[in-house]
Amino acid sequence: MAGNTTKYAIIGIIIIIIIAIGAYYATQKPAQTTTTPTTTSSPSPTTTSSPSPTTTTAPPKTVELTGNFNKDIIAVGKALEANGISEVKFTVWAAGDPNSVMRIYGIYEAAHRINKIWADNGINVKITVNKYWISDFNQLYQEYLSKQPLGQAGDFFVDSYVFIGSLAKEGYILDITPWVNKYWDSVFSDFYKPLWQGMKVGDKYYGIPQDTEARPLYIRKDVAKCIGWDLTNVANLVKEGKFTWKDVYEKAKEAVSKGCSEWGLIHRKGSAHPDLIQFIYAFGGKLYDPEKDKLVLDVPAVYKWLYVEWKFAQDGLLPKDIMSWDWAKQIHPTIVEGKTLFDIGGTWYWTEWQTKDYYTDPNTGEKRGLKPEEVKEWFYYTLFPAGEEGLKPVTLSQPFAWMINSRAGEQNPKYDELKDLYHKLAFLIVVKASDPDINAIHSVISAHVPVRKKATELLYDKDWINKLVNLQLDLAPEVKDNIKDIVATTVNEINVEFLANVSYMLDYTHMAPNHPKYPALADIFAETVDQVLRGQMTPEEAVQHIISRIQADPELSQAVEIVGEIPSGWQFP
Amino acid sequence: MKRNVFSTNKVQLLIFLLPAFLIVLLFYIIPIIITVYVSFTPMRNWNIDKYFNVIVGLQNYNRLFSLITRDPVARQVVVNTIVFVAITLVINVLGGLGLALANFFIDERVSTGFRTLWLLPRMTPIAVYGLLWYYFFHGSNIGMLNSIAMSLGLIKKPIAWGQEVIPWGPWSIIIIVNGFVGVSFGMVIFYSALKSIPRELIIAARVDGASNWKLTTNILIPLLRWHLLFVTTWQLLSLLTTYAHTFLLVEWGVVSRTYGQTWALYVFNTAFGRGEQDQGLAAAAAVILVIFGAILGWITVRALGFNKMITKPKGDI
Repeated sequence: MAGNTTKYAIIGIIIIIIIAIGAYYATQKPAQTTTTPTTTSSPSPTTTSSPSPTTTTAPPKTVELTGNFNKDIIAVGKALEANGISEVKFTVWAAGDPNSVMRIYGIYEAAHRINKIWADNGINVKITVNKYWISDFNQLYQEYLSKQPLGQAGDFFVDSYVFIGSLAKEGYILDITPWVNKYWDSVFSDFYKPLWQGMKVGDKYYGIPQDTEARPLYIRKDVAKCIGWDLTNVANLVKEGKFTWKDVYEKAKEAVSKGCSEWGLIHRKGSAHPDLIQFIYAFGGKLYDPEKDKLVLDVPAVYKWLYVEWKFAQDGLLPKDIMSWDWAKQIHPTIVEGKTLFDIGGTWYWTEWQTKDYYTDPNTGEKRGLKPEEVKEWFYYTLFPAGEEGLKPVTLSQPFAWMINSRAGEQNPKYDELKDLYHKLAFLIVVKASDPDINAIHSVISAHVPVRKKATELLYDKDWINKLVNLQLDLAPEVKDNIKDIVATTVNEINVEFLANVSYMLDYTHMAPNHPKYPALADIFAETVDQVLRGQMTPEEAVQHIISRIQADPELSQAVEIVGEIPSGWQFP
Repeated sequence: MKRNVFSTNKVQLLIFLLPAFLIVLLFYIIPIIITVYVSFTPMRNWNIDKYFNVIVGLQNYNRLFSLITRDPVARQVVVNTIVFVAITLVINVLGGLGLALANFFIDERVSTGFRTLWLLPRMTPIAVYGLLWYYFFHGSNIGMLNSIAMSLGLIKKPIAWGQEVIPWGPWSIIIIVNGFVGVSFGMVIFYSALKSIPRELIIAARVDGASNWKLTTNILIPLLRWHLLFVTTWQLLSLLTTYAHTFLLVEWGVVSRTYGQTWALYVFNTAFGRGEQDQGLAAAAAVILVIFGAILGWITVRALGFNKMITKPKGDI
């Protein structure tokens, strides 16, 4: 009996081992074949290794990009077709406010236009696009980090440029330098030049600007009127550096003390980047030293920033717990219902207030979006004022970028052979998604600033705007369906005028560094400013806290240069 | 002929042990080996291809030591962990014992419903359970605790209990939330142990005039010694490594990140968090946690005489 049991046990164990070995090999990918990217524009005839006496031409595994879009996309289509590919699947991942859906549908539209070109040229290949959208761009980045190595991240990643540094360092996004150079004259020279700085790591391009924005300081006109403050010329005073954060404090205090508003100032929650980082620049500080390639902790500027926040919160002008407020239930309703005089916001708020139901109508008690006329009537906007006299006003842009996954196209057949072709197709899709009209649609419906001049020109073209309002533009049906409600609410003269009026702010813009260690530093800022607002730390303690945290981490301390000291005798307001 | 069960054919023993051994190997031993290995690499941002084969020696441990000694947040994490584990452990063990005894003394029909009620926190999905506490402790007037306190006139304006009343506010919240889950584990173990005590002992004590208190202290608790040992050790190790409920409350902003973060959550945030995702450093922190867990577990076992419980019975069977 025992002998039989032993026999069966041994057989069982052998079977388990065989199954395990089989499963191991079954899950292994076939050995990758290395394809050397060729630089010839036409397939070079090769002789197959087949014993057949006839010589056959191998289908091209890549094409050389020329900078002529139609020529390139047709060459790519033909090469794919020659390799037996009839469908190419891509996935786009994007994040943002609810009106920024063209970050997704820009890729859909580009695919639609390319499919049409291919169909017109008799090429039987079709691009299909899947999407993944969330609102939090930080969360999307985290997801991308964890899923890219597994091959589960999107082929197109549309997110803040600040992540380009770390993603490029890890090899998670494509270096597109040679292709950008090819398309510089025909397409990219039309883009606003300062935006390209954020797309680069060293001298290499890893992204293409998708949009940008400014971060105005919004002022409620009705609250200002309540305290007897004439807003005429305030924007100019801010521009000239004559209206500073000391004046913001005084006005905020007056509004609250006179009972005109519950709060003096409202700002973002959660993180210090990017909105609150403006304080550092407004107090004449910097965050990055390009010569040393190091982040900078500018102690005087950071101290003054934290002091201003602390003073506002301690005096009851800014909620102490603002960093854990809810965007939809607390922050936006407080602003649109006139419960604050000032708000540090972004240009996209202008249309977001119109499309999202943040406002409770006092007549009906119902939640609704604001009408364009109400937004115009209630909100004044300026640059982010200088910290103190003698300094300049600022704004901060966080361009979003089209980034291409270094594994783009992996879900398609013959990826190992045709990788270069898929990558170039992905790049060409982004080129197409940068068409002036696609960029202009995104700008006007989401109140972001266009990235290229031809898109800006369209915003001044009344015929084009009218066509957009009536959705008479030649767009993919799926794109039309998904933007029609937003278009109906947002495309109007008031919003177009707003975009035109804020465009000057880009002359004052700053960009946070896309250094790989910046997320770690920004995380320390976020945690610290929360404690300062809650009164758990004085500004002095907070600066020491930040320094301690930087110095405690040997890696971070090597990446960050601490400059200056807490200013003695500095007073606010 | 006498036959000792411990000298049974080794192959048969192997067959019985194999499934358990494979599970431990796959889900504990191998992950531990990988974690220890990763702690010696600069692994970050999940870039296995780039970093897995790069060995940096003790660099992550040096960083961790530097952080613990110099970073106020990391230091606070250590303090939070000690307070959280110590107090929640006492609540879980004594609370579980108290609930089991209460169930033991009350009518069986009533105690069934009572036990089910206490098992609800454990049966409820973590996110739902977390959400309930989120609304209970919320710092605005939508928080139930604030509403009650304001309607009773105890406070004039809402208090952010987990953010403003530091450090005991956030500590109390994470202890309460985890305590309600943990206490049911002890209750189930102790109650089943109490029910298995021979009725003759209890009847004899009652005949001798023992009160509930005397019965509890002289008969029941001494007979629960091994169960107390088991629950204490189990809960200690569980509390050291638990983070799910706390993560949600910190992430949703109802509990301070500085004062609500325990070591296990610190490991998670370092590996998956908002800043740089640093798996090498997180692995080093996890290894330290495992070492501490092992040492504490060993001390508990030694101090409470666990070896006596698992000693072979004397004599032949």
